[in-house]
Amino acid sequence: MLRKLAFSSIKSRLKDYVVLFSGLVVAAATFYMFMALATNQDFLGKNSMLSANNTMFIFIFGAILLAIITFFYLIYANSFLLTMRQREYGMFMMLGAKTGKIGQLIFMETFLLGMGATLIGEIIGIGLTQVVARLLVQQMGLTLQHFNSFYWPAFLITLAFFLALFIFAAIWNSHKLMKTPVLKLLHSAEQPARAQAQPIWLAVQALLGVALLAAGYWSMINIALLQLLAIPFALVTIVLGSFFTFNATFIWLLRLMKKRRSFSLRGIRNFTLSQLNFRIHDYTRMLAMISILFALALGAITVGLGFRNDLSVLIDSFDAYDVKLYTHSAKIDAKVAKLDIKEQATYSYKVKGNQIYYRQDQLQDQPLYYFHYQRSGGISMQMPQRRRFAAKDYQISRDEPNGAVQNAYNQLGIKSIYGGSNLTGHLVTAAEFARLPGKTSQLTLIRVQDFAAARQKIAKIEQAQLAAAPEFSEVLENSKYANAQMGTAMYSGMIFMGLFLGLSFLAMLASCLMFKILSGAYSDVKRYDMLNKMGARTSVLKASVAKEIGVLYALPGLLGIIHVLFGLQLFKLLLLNPYRGIWLPFLIFLLLYGLYYWLTVTLYRGIVIPKVEIDK
Amino acid sequence: MTNEVVKVQHLVKTYGKGNEKKFTALKDINFTVENGEFVGIMGASGSGKTTLLNILSTLDKPTSGEVRINQQDLTQLKGNQMADFRGHEIGFIFQDFNLLENLTAAENIALPLSLQGVAPKQIQPLVMKIAKRLSIESVLDHYPTELSGGQKQRVAAARALVHQPTILFGDEPTGALDSNSARELLETMSSLNRNDQVSILLVTHDPFSASYCQRILFIKDGEIGSELRRGERDRAAFYQEILDNLGTFTE
Ligand SMILES: Nc1ncnc2c1ncn2[C@@H]1O[C@H](COP(=O)(O)OP(=O)(O)OP(=O)(O)O)[C@@H](O)[C@H]1O
Ligand SMILES: [Mg+2]
Repeated sequence: MLRKLAFSSIKSRLKDYVVLFSGLVVAAATFYMFMALATNQDFLGKNSMLSANNTMFIFIFGAILLAIITFFYLIYANSFLLTMRQREYGMFMMLGAKTGKIGQLIFMETFLLGMGATLIGEIIGIGLTQVVARLLVQQMGLTLQHFNSFYWPAFLITLAFFLALFIFAAIWNSHKLMKTPVLKLLHSAEQPARAQAQPIWLAVQALLGVALLAAGYWSMINIALLQLLAIPFALVTIVLGSFFTFNATFIWLLRLMKKRRSFSLRGIRNFTLSQLNFRIHDYTRMLAMISILFALALGAITVGLGFRNDLSVLIDSFDAYDVKLYTHSAKIDAKVAKLDIKEQATYSYKVKGNQIYYRQDQLQDQPLYYFHYQRSGGISMQMPQRRRFAAKDYQISRDEPNGAVQNAYNQLGIKSIYGGSNLTGHLVTAAEFARLPGKTSQLTLIRVQDFAAARQKIAKIEQAQLAAAPEFSEVLENSKYANAQMGTAMYSGMIFMGLFLGLSFLAMLASCLMFKILSGAYSDVKRYDMLNKMGARTSVLKASVAKEIGVLYALPGLLGIIHVLFGLQLFKLLLLNPYRGIWLPFLIFLLLYGLYYWLTVTLYRGIVIPKVEIDK
Repeated sequence: MTNEVVKVQHLVKTYGKGNEKKFTALKDINFTVENGEFVGIMGASGSGKTTLLNILSTLDKPTSGEVRINQQDLTQLKGNQMADFRGHEIGFIFQDFNLLENLTAAENIALPLSLQGVAPKQIQPLVMKIAKRLSIESVLDHYPTELSGGQKQRVAAARALVHQPTILFGDEPTGALDSNSARELLETMSSLNRNDQVSILLVTHDPFSASYCQRILFIKDGEIGSELRRGERDRAAFYQEILDNLGTFTE
């Protein structure tokens, strides 16, 4: 009987349950996806620019972060479940249902809901892992090797983790419901007036918050000065600063707004402000945490995409020439003809024993391009400049060859300089070259319009050359194309991790906020009903909800964005320009965050806005 | 004619849409309230008192019949018009006060004015005026949890009256008060009615509260069963008559 009652009330709140359930499903799916990566050493080893051991450490660090945020997420989701149910269960108890029975019921409900969501989440996770991996590979031109979307250890870890958490949650819920007096369950909606902090103490905290944030930002900008100390220092000051900012600065601002009667006494503002004041007080720790997580997530995505930006720039600096043709055939020539060529030059050479000869006049006619590396004094990464030698640089002399000539020997070499080439280069006049015995060979250097666009075509040319002339394998394996392939493989792991961690963090933190806010919705029903009776238009009430929740989303988001903007300073060490193209990750991030905001507002309105019955 | 603030004719309210179970809460209600009258509505639990009040205050729509308040036909109102109508023409007091706990007493009272777009400068004096009238000036800066039940109800009354509505509706406003606070509130209401010409419609099942009214309508099975007028009698005599009437009425 009781079971039936409990079930029928689930039906009446189906929408909220669907949200809760799908939230849990997403959490489980995300957790599985990450674990499928973190515990899969094959994947890590091949796809990261760091060694497998280092990456393992980073991934484990990420996994711990994810576990922590999942833990908090479940706490909030669970408290939403509890507030949703406590009135009904309180009612059953008042009707004489045995406490033990109720405890059992809520235990079962929590547990089944959780486990159902976990299993479905894992299945979705397996599918998603496959889809996401494919998508990334396609979209970004990355290469992911050894990526197995179903991975037993990950499946089991996820199951065990969620099982433990849900048993904990179920015990917690049943304990809480059984311990709380029935009357309190029924009247939990009434909120007491908050103790007001002393204005002076508030002002001190507010200033402290801003000062701590400033100190944290300063240390990240001046990482050159503070070295490694900057990171823990920034972490502590920014966490504390965020906390004080929410605990005091924003509350102080709200109070200022409330005090200005000409502002607050218009329309429903005073109510909205009071709601916010109450909420922010209640949410201080959570909002501070969200601003930090927001920054971590957005930072991860920004850095992930930053690596991607860098990759193309880096690849361009691997070699001044995109393709080098060591051998010719009709097949190869046909493939070369398909390239969108910007410039090409052919040079002759002759090999005699350990000596290799090049023609001075050819080089003077078409001097080579090269990369010039500046000497950088700072700690930031810098890219070389593309330059071209002048004709007069190619001088024949008995002394050590100058830069231009040495460069020509390297660029036009037919054995890898890394492979310990024992060929000695010589620059000779055209006449001398003609006098030399032996066969004249040709080497064509090509620059295309767009290396990334031509990459597939170049791959085919390289393969054809390797097949036709294996004696050049040493240089071909060190070609720009080969290096680009390797670089892409190394960076793709980093990019993937950045994007994945960033997006899953975002999903979790936004859902945390959502459930926290929705948990409060049930106690707000009466207030909105009251306002409705007083003649507040539905549109006014809706706008008030949108504003209240909007501020709760915007404040941690805004603070998080500021954290990131300063935090990117740290990545000047690893990235060419951490700020380049950041609008893209910011946009993606804000869109997703906005989606959660919209969902929260919609659900919240569904709970609190009174429905005016218009039938007939 | 123009003196009627409330006019209800052949009002029917049936709950349950479509193929849900139908229940007719109000069958055929007819009555009027004159400007400046203090009218009570009594009836057993479930007789439809709250339903009637909800319809009168545009919170619910009648199934059929005509409802006019201050000459305005409520059935013609749509969406925002209903909300605006409630905001301008009606004041409410409820059994459970319904104050917003996160606003001070003064802010609670000011809210209807803000909602109507009254300029912030004009709000303060209006709040002070009604607070004086209800003797709650001293608690204006308190939050609802810091007020006694009686004070809360007077704050609620102040909020209901601050915008000078056409009519004040009370749904068991004394229900949660002890007898002294209840008496005080009723005295205040009847004084507002006598001296400030506030029209009041009071729903109650308590004969003592009802005895403050000038006229009492008894609802039974969704219809107005009978009506009592106080006339020139004193309250004690009226109270006695209500008790007698309730005896015969409930039989
Ligand atoms: N939303 C609704 N849907 C269906 N039936 C309803 C609804 N609201 C009220 N009723 C029914 O209409 C009848 C009248 O209800 P109403 O609340 O008006 O009674 P009341 O006179 O105010 O009673 P009380 O003195 O207990 O407050 C009751 O039988 C009730 O069950
Ligand atoms: Mg009622």
